[in-house]
Amino acid sequence: MIATVTASGLSLRYGGTLALDEVSLRLGEGVTGLLGPNGAGKTTLLRVLATAVPADRGSFSVLGHDPGTTAGRLDVRRALGYLPQTPGFHQDFSAFEFVDYVAILKELTDRTARHREARRVLEAVGLSDVRGKRIKRLSGGMRQRVALAAALVGDPGFLVLDEPTVGLDPEQRMRFRELIAQAGEGRTVLLSTHQTEDVAMLCHRVIVMDAGRIRFEGTPAELTERAAGRVWSSAERDPSARAGWRTGTGAFRNVGDPPAGAHLLEPTLEDGYLLTLDARTEVAA
Amino acid sequence: MTTTSADHGPAGAAPPPPPHVVVRALVRPVWRALPRGAVLTGAGVGLLLAGSSLTVAEEPDPFLCLTLLRAAALAFGLGLAFLLDDPARHTTATVPTRRPVRTGLRLALVVPIMAACWTAALFLVPAKGRPPMGAITVEAAAIMAVALASALLAVRYSEAVEPGIGISAGLVGAFFASAVMLPSRWELFVGTTDQRWDDAHRRWAGVLVVAVLAGALSLAEPLRRRRTTVLAHR
Repeated sequence: MIATVTASGLSLRYGGTLALDEVSLRLGEGVTGLLGPNGAGKTTLLRVLATAVPADRGSFSVLGHDPGTTAGRLDVRRALGYLPQTPGFHQDFSAFEFVDYVAILKELTDRTARHREARRVLEAVGLSDVRGKRIKRLSGGMRQRVALAAALVGDPGFLVLDEPTVGLDPEQRMRFRELIAQAGEGRTVLLSTHQTEDVAMLCHRVIVMDAGRIRFEGTPAELTERAAGRVWSSAERDPSARAGWRTGTGAFRNVGDPPAGAHLLEPTLEDGYLLTLDARTEVAA
Repeated sequence: MTTTSADHGPAGAAPPPPPHVVVRALVRPVWRALPRGAVLTGAGVGLLLAGSSLTVAEEPDPFLCLTLLRAAALAFGLGLAFLLDDPARHTTATVPTRRPVRTGLRLALVVPIMAACWTAALFLVPAKGRPPMGAITVEAAAIMAVALASALLAVRYSEAVEPGIGISAGLVGAFFASAVMLPSRWELFVGTTDQRWDDAHRRWAGVLVVAVLAGALSLAEPLRRRRTTVLAHR
C-alpha cells in the first residue's frame, strides 16, 4: 500500500480525558473504515486529521503536506473534503447556493467554473433535481448528501467522513454506500462508522479504535478472521460466551471461547470487532 | 465521481487566488449567511430606545437621555453578540479560507451599519439633553466591542455554533452587574455632572482596548493547543 496519509504518535487530551493516545496510522487510496464504540476517539482522530483541531503531540501528513505549519495546513485543507458528524447548514440557502458558498471558501473563485463544479458534485450525489430547493425543505438524507457534495467540492484527494449514514433509512444508507464507494475510487477516504456492515461492504482496510488507541489495523477479512472458531450456536444461551443472542431461527449465536464440540458458525466482521474490543477488556481486567 | 473537474483538482493543481478575490466572491453569500434578524433587531431596538427620548414633551432630562443612549448601546451590543452565530460552522471548519478572513468579512459587513445606527441614535436624542458625544460613543464602542470579543472568544475556545444567546445573556448580566456592583472608585456608569465622568471614561477606554485586543488575539487558528501541550508534557 502506498501511504497517502500518515500519522505518528498523535495525542490529544480534553480536560482529564486522553482522547487520542499515541495514535499512528497509514492510509492509502480507497475507503478505510474506522470502527469503535462511543467515546473511542474516532471523531477526535478525524477532526485532527481534518485540521479542525490541533493535536497536543505527534505529527501527520496528508498527500505529502505537513499541517504543522501555517502554509502546510492550508495545503492540507486544499486537498481535503470533510463531512462532520453533525453537519450544519444555512437553512435559507438552496442546496446549490450552499455548495457554491463552500466552493468559494475552498478558493474556487471563477464564477463559471465554480458553478460547473457545484452542479457536478450535486449531480454526483443525486441532488440535481432539487438543487434549487431550500435546505430546510430537504429530508435528512438529502441534507447529508448536500454535506457530502460540499465535502466533494474541488475534487479533494483526502475525504474524511464522520458517521455519514447515521439516521438514514436503509434505502438512503444503500445510496450513501454507493456514493462513498464511488468517492473512494482514486482518492483516500477515511470513514468513521458504527455500522460494521458499512465497513464490510465498502472498505478495503479497517481500523478499530477504543479508549483513544488503535486496537486493530488490517483488512476486513483479517478482522473477521479474528473470530474464526469463536462463534457457535446453541439451543440456549451459553453462559461461557462473551456475548450471545437469540437469532431469528430460535437458536442462540454465541461469541467467545466455545466449549468442546460446539457447533461452530461462520464469523462475521462484527464478531471480529466484538472480540477485538473484548480482548481489550480482558487485558484491562 | 473521480476527477472530472477541468478547472480544479487536488491541491497544487492551480495556484490559490489572492485573499481579496476570495473575499469579493464571499461578500454576497456571507451577507446572506449572517444572522441578520438578531443583528437588525438589536439595531432597531437601539434606535427605538434612543428615539423614545423624543416622545418626552418637556425639557429633555440629561439623565434620561444618557440612560436611553446606554440602553441603546446595550441593544446594539446584544445584536452584535449574534454576529458569529454560524450553523454551518462545523461543515466549513476545514476550508482553506482562514478564520480571520471569514470573521473579518462578517465584521466589515456589519460594524459600519452599527456605527451608522449609533450615529443616528446620537442624533435622535435632543441636543439639549445629549451627553458629550465622544465620551458616550466610547461607552457604546466598549459595550459593542465586549459583545464582539465574547463572540470571537466563544468561537475560538468552544464548539458552539450559535453562541449568541449565551453571550447576550452574559452581556446583560455584566452590564447590570457593573452598573450596581462596582465600587465607587471603579464605577463606569456615572452621570454627566459627576466629577468622576472623565475617570470613568478612561476606564471605558481601557475596557474598549482590552476587548479589541482579546478579540483580535482570538481570531487566530493555532497550530498547537498551547495550554494542553504544556499539560500533556507534564
